[in-house]
This record gives sequence, structure tokens and C-alpha cells, in this order.
Amino acid sequence: MFDDVEQFVKVANRATKMDELSDLLNGAVETFGFDHVALVHHVNLHAPNAASQALQYITYPDALRAEMKSRRQLGDDPVLIAVQSSAAAFLWTDLPRIIDMNPRRTAILNAAMACGISDGFTVPVNVPGEFLGSCSFALRAGREVKRAMLPAAQYVGCFAFEAVRRIRQIGDTIRVKEARPTLTGRQYDCLVLAAQGRSDWHIAQLLGISRETVHQHIETAKRRYQVASRTQLVVRALFDSQITFAEVLAPRPSPD
Amino acid sequence: MIQLIATPDRPMFERQLAHMFRERKRVFVDRLGWEVPVVDGEFEIDQFDTEDAVYLLSLDAAGVQLGSVRLLPSMRPTLLSEVFPHLCERGVPTGQDVWEITRICTLGSGPEALAVRKRLMIGMVEFALLNGIKRFTLVAHLPYLSRLLAVGWDCEPLGLPQPHGDQLVGAMVINVTPDTLIHLRQRAGVQGPLLRWEVRDAA
Repeated sequence: MFDDVEQFVKVANRATKMDELSDLLNGAVETFGFDHVALVHHVNLHAPNAASQALQYITYPDALRAEMKSRRQLGDDPVLIAVQSSAAAFLWTDLPRIIDMNPRRTAILNAAMACGISDGFTVPVNVPGEFLGSCSFALRAGREVKRAMLPAAQYVGCFAFEAVRRIRQIGDTIRVKEARPTLTGRQYDCLVLAAQGRSDWHIAQLLGISRETVHQHIETAKRRYQVASRTQLVVRALFDSQITFAEVLAPRPSPD
Repeated sequence: MIQLIATPDRPMFERQLAHMFRERKRVFVDRLGWEVPVVDGEFEIDQFDTEDAVYLLSLDAAGVQLGSVRLLPSMRPTLLSEVFPHLCERGVPTGQDVWEITRICTLGSGPEALAVRKRLMIGMVEFALLNGIKRFTLVAHLPYLSRLLAVGWDCEPLGLPQPHGDQLVGAMVINVTPDTLIHLRQRAGVQGPLLRWEVRDAA
């Protein structure tokens, strides 16, 4: 089995076109005992500007693709939620052990099963500063997961995703620069404290500057992000890792 | 800038090396929860931090440490040869032109950490080309494999991943050629050499 993985990686690392890679990936899906594959960035497909850069290569059955499209929000998808909370790969039948399967999530998983899927295996792909991604392999009804194949499938998912990143030049310096505004140290301090839910007055006290100055710092950060509200600012800054959840959720000591 | 610290240079860099071991403890023990030895309660130093080890430190313009990595020659004991040989399907690669990468440690998070990592990788590739090293080996935790590959170098698995603790780990080989350096520099937007080392007169 390792020979197959080795061969896959060698070809994937040298692929220069998306067509080459999709042919290769479709072959690997069969080799490693699956029927369908979905290599995706996790963005809301209904948001056109996010979707333009996002990666989508899906060979699920038509019924399942239609079902996914019909759901306006992908946010409820249990597989995508599990990718956010698990760095390790997982089987869909193990979802209840990873996340809370509320009725809505259960219904979505059942809907997938009703489209002729028996199980799936998802490899999360987390490159800091980029959309969360994943490579999922699915099995049609009546087939069983070959557990011995899962380690190999993880490699296939990771190397395929990286090959697509390379072919599409995702994450190259220029794009990252475009995507991410620069903030000064003080703007950054104000942003983190604002994201912690503190008022301008409170931030001013903590940083030893005037309330008006705090307001100006936040306004400048909003202009650099080209957003209108504080909420949008915080969300964008978290998304591109300008600030991190660790800073926002665990209040840090006040700067001196 | 990437500072190379080879064995004879160590007395000149005691302060920086102590800082590196402290940061490694913070990252690998405190943050990632690895079960590795801690010396004096504050330094992460293991059996491979020997005289054979070469360190690269990523420093900013003011000399502040942003990250570090440890390099070991494969002709001497390595993490792969001593602890994880079973990860290599066709034996552990060894030779004068094979070195091992361990303890890639970066401060910060998100894109900054990725940028630091990319510069460290460029430093490693420069080190390799200067010393006739053709291949690097390393052991990767599977959840971190994507960010390791995202650096954009020519990386291939040496065997299927195996369980280690509650995670899977896999051995990788990275092929280094002059093209690797050109490619990595382009992707990271880096123009000239990053690696710097001290040349001392023989006493």
C-alpha cells in the first residue's frame, strides 16, 4: 500500500494543472477503497467574493451535491464543524464522539446517507492565515470503510490539498499581503481589547491614553479593513489571524 | 536573518541558546503538551541536543528571536534512527548528505508564524546547499503536516503514518536542490541569502 502512496505523492508534487491532479485524485480514491472525494475550503458558497478564491473539487453523487446546495448555510454541516474542532482526521460515523450531534446536525448527516452514502473520512487541512480546508473521502451505500487504508488516505488528502495550493498559488506572498492590512502596535492593542468586549473608556484606562485616541485607533483599523462596524472588524481580524482567539478569550495582562 | 550556530560557536551564543531552550519548553511542553525532558524546570533539552547538533535561529532586525530549529547529521544518532525507525518503510535514510530536522519552534501564531517558518526553511536549504546536504528527514505529527507542506518544498513520505500517543506521526524526506532555494525564496518574497554565521580566527 505504501508504494501506491509514494507514487501518488510523486505525481501530485509535480502536477502543474488542475486536470492532472483531479485525474490522479480520482484514481487514488478508488485505490484506497473509497468512491467519492471532496477537496474544499470551508467558505459560505453563497458569498461570492469569498467563493472566488476558495477551492472546490467535489465528486459526490448528484443528489448529495444538490442537497448541499439547497442548504443555504453550510455552517450547520457536522463534518465542517468537526473540522473546526478536530485537528485529527475522523470517520463520519465517529462524529458523535467529536462534536455535539444536535437534531439539526443529525438530520444533515442522515440526509447525506439518504443520498447513497454509507460513511466518510475527513482529513482537516489547516494552514494558518488561510481558509480552513479539508479533504473528505466518501463511500457509497453498502460499502464498508477499510480501516487499514485510513493512514494512507490521510497522506493522499494532505498532499492533494498542497498540490492544489501550489497549482493555484494560494498563500503566495503577494496575496497574503493584499489580504491583510497592517496595524500599528497601538491599533492592535485597541483591537484586541475591543474584541474582549471592553468599552473605549475601559481601553483608554488600560492603555493610559485618551478615549478619543482609542476611538481613532479603532476607526483607522476599520478603514484599513474596509469595514463599517466593530463586529466586522473583529471577525475579519480573527479570520486572518491578525488577532487570535487565545488573546481574545483569555484576557492578557494590561500593557504598561 | 537566520543565525547559524555550529558546535564551536556555542560559547558566543550562550544567551541566545538558553533563550531558545526556554522557548522550546514554552512551545513543546506548555503549549503542545509533549512529554519531553525539561531541565531545571525551564529548558527543554533532550538526548539529541549534543555536540552534533547545529541550530538555526530566526532573528528580527533588532536581534529578537522569532524561531529556531535543530539540525542533526544522520551519521550520528537522530530522532528517526533512535526513536522512530519503524516509520521508514525502506530503512532510515543515512549518509553524509542526509541531515535531520527537529524542533521547529516558532513564536507567535497565524501568518507571522508561517512567515517565520518559511524563513527558517530557507535558512535550512541554504545551510544544506553550502554543506552538500541533499536530503532532510523529519518526523511530523499528521495534524501539522499541512502547514509543513505549505512551505512549498519537495516533501515525500518515507512510510505510512503510525500511532504515537493519541496522534499519528509520519516520517518525511525533503529533497534539496538549488531550484528548491530559488522556489522557496520566490514564494516567500525573499531576495538575498538569509543565513549568517560567525567566522573566528583560529587561536
